[in-house]
Amino acid sequence: MSTTDTSALAVQSATSATGRRFSPLASAKFKQNLRWTNWAPAVITFVIAAALWQITAIANPYVIPTIDQVWVSLIKDADTYWANMLVTGLEVLVGASSGIIAGFILAIIMAEFQVMERAVMPLVVVVMVTPIVAIAPALVVAFGFGMTPKFIVTALVVFFPMLVNSLAGLRDVDDRALDVMKTLHASRWEIFRDLRFTGSMPYVFAGLRIALPLAIVGAAVAEFVAAGQQAGLGSLVTIAAAQANLPVTWASIALLCFMGVVLISLLALVRKRVLWWSDGAAVGR
Amino acid sequence: METAQPHAGVHIENVSKSFGPEGARTLVLNHVSLSIKMGEFVSVIGPSGCGKSTLLKTVAGLIDADSGTVMVDGMTVKAATKNKMIGLVPQSPALLPWRTVLDNVRLPMRVNPKANANRNLRDPREILESFGLGAALDKYPGQLSGGMQQRVAIARAFVFDPSVLLMDEPFSALDEMNRDAQRLGLLDFWQSNRKAVMFVTHSVPEAIMLSDRIVVMGAHPGHIAEVIDVPLPRPRTIDVYATDEFRDLEGHVRETLREVMGQKSA
Repeated sequence: MSTTDTSALAVQSATSATGRRFSPLASAKFKQNLRWTNWAPAVITFVIAAALWQITAIANPYVIPTIDQVWVSLIKDADTYWANMLVTGLEVLVGASSGIIAGFILAIIMAEFQVMERAVMPLVVVVMVTPIVAIAPALVVAFGFGMTPKFIVTALVVFFPMLVNSLAGLRDVDDRALDVMKTLHASRWEIFRDLRFTGSMPYVFAGLRIALPLAIVGAAVAEFVAAGQQAGLGSLVTIAAAQANLPVTWASIALLCFMGVVLISLLALVRKRVLWWSDGAAVGR
Repeated sequence: METAQPHAGVHIENVSKSFGPEGARTLVLNHVSLSIKMGEFVSVIGPSGCGKSTLLKTVAGLIDADSGTVMVDGMTVKAATKNKMIGLVPQSPALLPWRTVLDNVRLPMRVNPKANANRNLRDPREILESFGLGAALDKYPGQLSGGMQQRVAIARAFVFDPSVLLMDEPFSALDEMNRDAQRLGLLDFWQSNRKAVMFVTHSVPEAIMLSDRIVVMGAHPGHIAEVIDVPLPRPRTIDVYATDEFRDLEGHVRETLREVMGQKSA
């Protein structure tokens, strides 16, 4: 390149350098997120909702408990809640991770071998349209009151959104990057390794966002029908509701909700670390 | 890969190709023949639908011709891709956004490594520096301007020392000022790395500026209407645009394009 050209390039690169992964720009954005105009509206909504709840609860003492009743129950029986939350947490952890891994692996097989999609997808769809609430009692009959049916139900609800999203992600490659790979006579494995795998991650994370809250639903539903010895927050809800014990019922519900919030927040954190390249402006397309 | 090889370069002979379902096929390329010698820069220009991109994809091995032969350095296209002899610069840079600029340019070495033996692989760092991207080695594509991204894509095509370079309107997405800088940069680099180049473009000045020959194609079905020699001396600089020879050539190419388009409506 000629000298005049290079100087023009230097200017260009100086202006287009928008910073790296953890740039001052990112921390500026973080500070912006902390500004009160960003978090205050949500906080106000929560305060109003809590106030309405409290008023309703005081007016209807046999329908819902007051927030302080729930809080007292949480503190008083903290050990019981903790033990039950661990059970449900284990179900979610084991069930969801096996469903996620199975869904992703089957998606890879289907993406690489179209015939497998034609062969297996109809069966997958049939299983998935069967209401999970109906499958759960049947699984309890088959596998007893232990953890196994809970793992299976949780894995099942997670599996489908993972499969469908991963498959879409593995298929949605940049055609022109694929052309470049093909002129280099890249093997299927190389195309998967260098292009499809990482390229599918935005879809995989979209799938996880749907799948993880569903995992908690799956675990809770399995516990409803198969309380068993190992309890869990779901069975706590059914038992307490049957006894009309409102504070315990709602404390358990609140903890299920809390688990979901934790999962989604963790996911958002991981996504930020893994998918930094896919946010913002379209790249290379 | 010596320049003295009799088969060196690209030889397209009698290539025809149609698309579409049985019974309703449209002929896209009709008996197209073209040779690009080693070290020769040939542009292909023509109206939309003239099959210039299809022709390029046939040489790249992305599309199989219905009939006719395409040879690269005396080999079939399939054998040529197996030996990594074809460098492709697509219409968009098509870089991998999760890899740094340097790792994007290293990609052709990583892929199909069997073909790396006995060839003059370039140092990715060096090639990027000579493209004026020395400061951007560890940046990600998303941090670069469109022009810089396209230069990375060109570096990616040059780095594994292919004998043939195929470029599909690589500068069409850039603004005019940027495009001129990119053309001159490409020309500069090619001057010292003479490959056989097939360059598909929409721009008449671009074709003249870069090429030894300009292939004007017509549509319905795609065919070669005329091949125009560009006898302008090399190395060429931006001053070429102002010469009488350039203007005469431009007139000639535009005239040919008009004739080609006229035929279409007749």
